[in-house]
Amino acid sequence: MSTTTAPSPGAGQEDLARLEAHWGERASLRSWFSTVDHKRIGRRYLVTASLFFVLAGTSALAMRTQLARPESNLLSPEEYNQLFTMHGTAMIFLFATPMLFGFGNYLVPLMIGSRDMAFPKLNAFGYWVFLFAGLFMWASLPFGAAPNGGWFAYVPLTDDRNTPGLHMDVYTLGLLFLGIATTAGSINFIVTALKLRAPGMSLNRVPLFVWAIVATAFMVIFALPALNLDNAMLFLDRRFGTHFFDPEAAGNVLLWQHLFWIFGHPDVYIIVMPALGIVSAVLPAFTRRGVVGYVLIVLAIVSIAIISFGVWVHHMFATGLPHLSYSFFSAASTIITIPSGIQIFAWLATMMLGRLVVRVPLLFLVGFIVTFVLGGLTGAMFALTAFDQQVTDSYFVVAHFHYVLIGGAVFPILAAIYYWLPKMTGRMYHEGLGKWAFWLFFTGMQVAFFPMHLSGLFGMPRRVYTYRDEPGWDVWNMVSTIGAYILAVGLLLVLIGVVHAIRRGRPAPPDPWCGDTLEWSTESPPRPYNFPVLPQVHSLHPTWDQPSRSSMAEDATPDRILADGRRTLFTSELDGRRERVVEMPEASLQPLLLALAMLVFFTAMLFAWYPFAVAAAVAVAVIIAWWLWPPRRPEEELGVAR
Amino acid sequence: MSAQPGPRTRLAGGLLLWYAVLGGALAWAIHLMLAWGIDELTCASGSDRIGAVPLRVVVALAVVVPALATVGALLAAALAWRRTAHTRSDGIAEGTLGRTRLLAALGLWANLLFLAIILLGGVALLVFPPCQR
Repeated sequence: MSTTTAPSPGAGQEDLARLEAHWGERASLRSWFSTVDHKRIGRRYLVTASLFFVLAGTSALAMRTQLARPESNLLSPEEYNQLFTMHGTAMIFLFATPMLFGFGNYLVPLMIGSRDMAFPKLNAFGYWVFLFAGLFMWASLPFGAAPNGGWFAYVPLTDDRNTPGLHMDVYTLGLLFLGIATTAGSINFIVTALKLRAPGMSLNRVPLFVWAIVATAFMVIFALPALNLDNAMLFLDRRFGTHFFDPEAAGNVLLWQHLFWIFGHPDVYIIVMPALGIVSAVLPAFTRRGVVGYVLIVLAIVSIAIISFGVWVHHMFATGLPHLSYSFFSAASTIITIPSGIQIFAWLATMMLGRLVVRVPLLFLVGFIVTFVLGGLTGAMFALTAFDQQVTDSYFVVAHFHYVLIGGAVFPILAAIYYWLPKMTGRMYHEGLGKWAFWLFFTGMQVAFFPMHLSGLFGMPRRVYTYRDEPGWDVWNMVSTIGAYILAVGLLLVLIGVVHAIRRGRPAPPDPWCGDTLEWSTESPPRPYNFPVLPQVHSLHPTWDQPSRSSMAEDATPDRILADGRRTLFTSELDGRRERVVEMPEASLQPLLLALAMLVFFTAMLFAWYPFAVAAAVAVAVIIAWWLWPPRRPEEELGVAR
Repeated sequence: MSAQPGPRTRLAGGLLLWYAVLGGALAWAIHLMLAWGIDELTCASGSDRIGAVPLRVVVALAVVVPALATVGALLAAALAWRRTAHTRSDGIAEGTLGRTRLLAALGLWANLLFLAIILLGGVALLVFPPCQR
């Protein structure tokens, strides 16, 4: 078991000073724009995604206020359409995935014992693109031009005849722009986890959170092209008169649905998977033991990542395809519940066999299990074609996916905020405030979304801006609205708790929870170089085993200190064997400039300013060439000096 | 003390291990694309035969062949698991042995899952006419 102090550094004062000189960044405006430090970028992802979450959450409160009473006039149908579309789109694309990528950015290098991500500049570029794409989409709302065809934007509703104006152009271009960031981030995660693990960290010693992030990254790489293709074709249909989705010209409207859900269903797991990784990472600290069934959880992560690509047609059970076709997807949709269930039982067994320490992160984990299991239960019901067809497009579906996504992503994210806040800020949070936040959030969640099951079974369709009093839906809608406000108060307390911790929290020790992964062997917050000595890993729980801890202290060797530059170690993919030392890039403005040029390109395309778009495309090409241009190296390094 | 295996043996062992880990997943992916794609496209063209062969037979082949490939992967995973069960590790090789056993265990369980999906999807062939909507 680890202590609450970091191991005494195995590096001397001179080494530490050199590491600080090579990796440290002086506080300045230029450094703010040019940083490539994965910790700063990770924190920015978290803050920016949280801001988008506030915007999307405020949209939800406006909608719930509108639906609290029948025939309310708070919002017009046009405003409601834009709000529900932006709410869904932002929660999925601008909050959930970037928030979890933020944790990944911050934590993966620390957990695997590296000094940064594999491609630090690409990492910075991904963040700037994410920020600009989010602003690009949200900026359309005040002008009444926000996307308005639902987050899955079915054609023919979203073609230019049925949805004229810029609305869906903002959607298609915004998501294409954002996709660049997500893809770049995923490539970075995969290479980082495969090549930058500390020596000795063979596959069977990789933390479950890292497994989850890598599986997610692979899913993004395989799933996102389908969405990008879909959006590109819709934009071409709308802007340039092509006919990909036009049945009158031999196009096919179901093509949109197929491509969207080939992305869309894996995306559910893209959102949930890292969050499940968070659960596996947080649980050991509050049960005082490793997670039960490491191999089975890895199996669950890997098999979900694969099977999730074979279930997309269960979103299309109402489209009239042959029953035999449905059966192949129904089978996969049913079996995918097994690995999900394995994880739930592994966590329950961990709690049962461990010694529970009831702190705020653990409360959120328990809330996650309760809520996610309820969402999973209704999910299994959707795998049955006959039931699915009865409740398609009703509020039952809305209840289901909020249970899955809030249960499966937001609860773990909140647990993660409380768990890693001391590591990120060096400050402890207020326990009482955190418990109030949990109970309000948990109660609000159940009160807001459970009644939607009933509204749906009573026949209330989703995406209606108002309803008549007659069907008897008003009581359940009022209850849902009250729940939404309780939930919002809970989230407000989380925010207050974070601000309170940063401003007035007591200083956090390096390892306040006795965690088992490597980030707890660094200072709180970590130094710019993360580890004075890169660890030699001997087990799955390196901060709980003496040889791994000693490797960073009294057993430190110069070949793991690497103080002569911005250096870290490359190791082999499977066994974590030392391969070579690599030089990491320094801070640069290139990522920001490239993202800005892309913003100009997408804005010009939106407003049909094609000459500007061409100029921006040229600028993008020039900046990429500048980025990739080989640096001048001394002749000694090139091996040609005498 | 055992002799180190040669490069060809190591390559064969490596390929066999990857087949044990990913064979079921690949077989299922091929099954899904073929069975669903053939059924969907043939029915959309208004026929329930491909040339002279009934559609049901073609879809059945797209179930049975991948199922057999998955069984093969399952056996390979079981072999890898058994062979590493009594291997002694020392020093650095401990990590290699550990991750090989991890991959073998993954293969065992994953292949069972994929076999179950393929068979469950195939059962529908006994119930539905291929083009019933």
